[in-house]
Amino acid sequence: MVELVPNLLRQEMARLAEQDARIDGRGQFDGREISLETDCLYNAEGSAKVTMGKTVVYAGVKFEIRTPWPDRPSEGSLMCGAELRPVAHRKYEPGPPSPESIELGRVVDRGIRESGCIDMNSLCIIPGEKVWGVMIDIHVLSDGGNIFDACGLAAIAALRTAIVPAERFDVGDDYTLSVNGTPIMASFTRVGGRYVYDPCEEEELGGDERIHITIGDEGHLHSLQKGLRGVFTPQEFAEIFEVAQKKCAELRKIVAEKEAN
Amino acid sequence: MGGYGDVQLLRDDGLRLDGRKLDESRPVTIEAGILPAADGSAMVTHGLNVAVAAVYGPMEAHPRKIQRQDRAVIDVRYNMAPFSTSDRIRPGFNRRSREISKVTAEALESVVLVERFPRSKIRVEIEILAAEAGTRCAGITAASVALADAGIPMRDMIVGVASGKIEDTVVLDLDKAEDNYGQADLPAGILPNTGEIAFLQMDGDLSPEEFDLAMEYNFKAAKEIHEIMVDALKARYDGGDS
Repeated sequence: MVELVPNLLRQEMARLAEQDARIDGRGQFDGREISLETDCLYNAEGSAKVTMGKTVVYAGVKFEIRTPWPDRPSEGSLMCGAELRPVAHRKYEPGPPSPESIELGRVVDRGIRESGCIDMNSLCIIPGEKVWGVMIDIHVLSDGGNIFDACGLAAIAALRTAIVPAERFDVGDDYTLSVNGTPIMASFTRVGGRYVYDPCEEEELGGDERIHITIGDEGHLHSLQKGLRGVFTPQEFAEIFEVAQKKCAELRKIVAEKEAN
Repeated sequence: MGGYGDVQLLRDDGLRLDGRKLDESRPVTIEAGILPAADGSAMVTHGLNVAVAAVYGPMEAHPRKIQRQDRAVIDVRYNMAPFSTSDRIRPGFNRRSREISKVTAEALESVVLVERFPRSKIRVEIEILAAEAGTRCAGITAASVALADAGIPMRDMIVGVASGKIEDTVVLDLDKAEDNYGQADLPAGILPNTGEIAFLQMDGDLSPEEFDLAMEYNFKAAKEIHEIMVDALKARYDGGDS
């Protein structure tokens, strides 16, 4: 039952690719319209909502005070997790975290963590005793394709608006979390034999492997992930890497503009 | 209830701490059809609460043992997002969310024309994105609008409302402080067209007279919120662009 439709869709995707067309009318490397809202949830110390086509994602930041690891007494911690709950699509079942949701959370986590935008030492309250643990929770509400980029964008936008709730924990005055950089993810899926940027739901269903690239402010790579069955060549990667640089710079501008307002 | 009695919740001028009158609800906004992947959806903001509901189905009911030969089953999941409360909640089900899911499902099964869809399942997913007392009621309201948005036939929608008691005074729609330090909470799911009740819970201490007044407030609020629900559905289908 599940196999038949993707096979038909796959044929259609191949036909469209021959004409350099996409199922929703976009060009190969065109993204869908994006809207970003920040500071939209009471109780979250930082929050963001991202809408990309039919995809809707929220991210919320919470803080807790914990004891530091013995070998890193002055470092706090950052954790990013994603939930693919049944609310997001009829294909998601209730139950313990799926491998897909764990992969999603970890890929977003790596991009933010490895960009170094959070100085772990700045999360220290009392060395050896108290440090901040920062948690970014991503909640996918509607999966209309390319949830990776939406989650990455929501996570960093929420983090960049976070206020450290020091008063509530009795350790001083509240202050804005210091975030030095805006790592952004760009994702590509092979559809009809070639890579497209920002795949929609149908393209994911009728497509093959995907590649996620997270790029920092200086244009450096901070996380890469190849997912699903399929192979690609270095030449193909070089092409989408170049596109990713442009796309990430554009999205970074959207985050900056939101913050300036 | 918290029962810390000595916290002042009513001001000297008789109004509540946030300036509301005794029978005044927090502001409510409703939007239908906000989640494109779902068959029906709605977002309800009630004060600072944000509840989102998605409906999928009717669809094949599996595992088979949950199937009913003569009607559909409604599978409700009420879940609070980790960032919805002041202290982060660990993801996953807990006793509270299981109970709320169960009674919400039973309330919805009382209004949906389930006999029209034998052997099938209707999934209702309620996600609380921000919590400030009253999330189960906001969730029921959101679920009703989402079911209507999905085109599922119902006898009536259910409006989630609550009244309670603070400083020996009955008030409509407790906020967080009033819920924490108040004396009673009476959430109800009301069918505004028929005047019936599909959902009822209560904890704390209420006299029979106080109960009557609290229910009177609940019916009044249900009527007001019902209009907002209907407007949200009309906005979705009267030349709405999505």
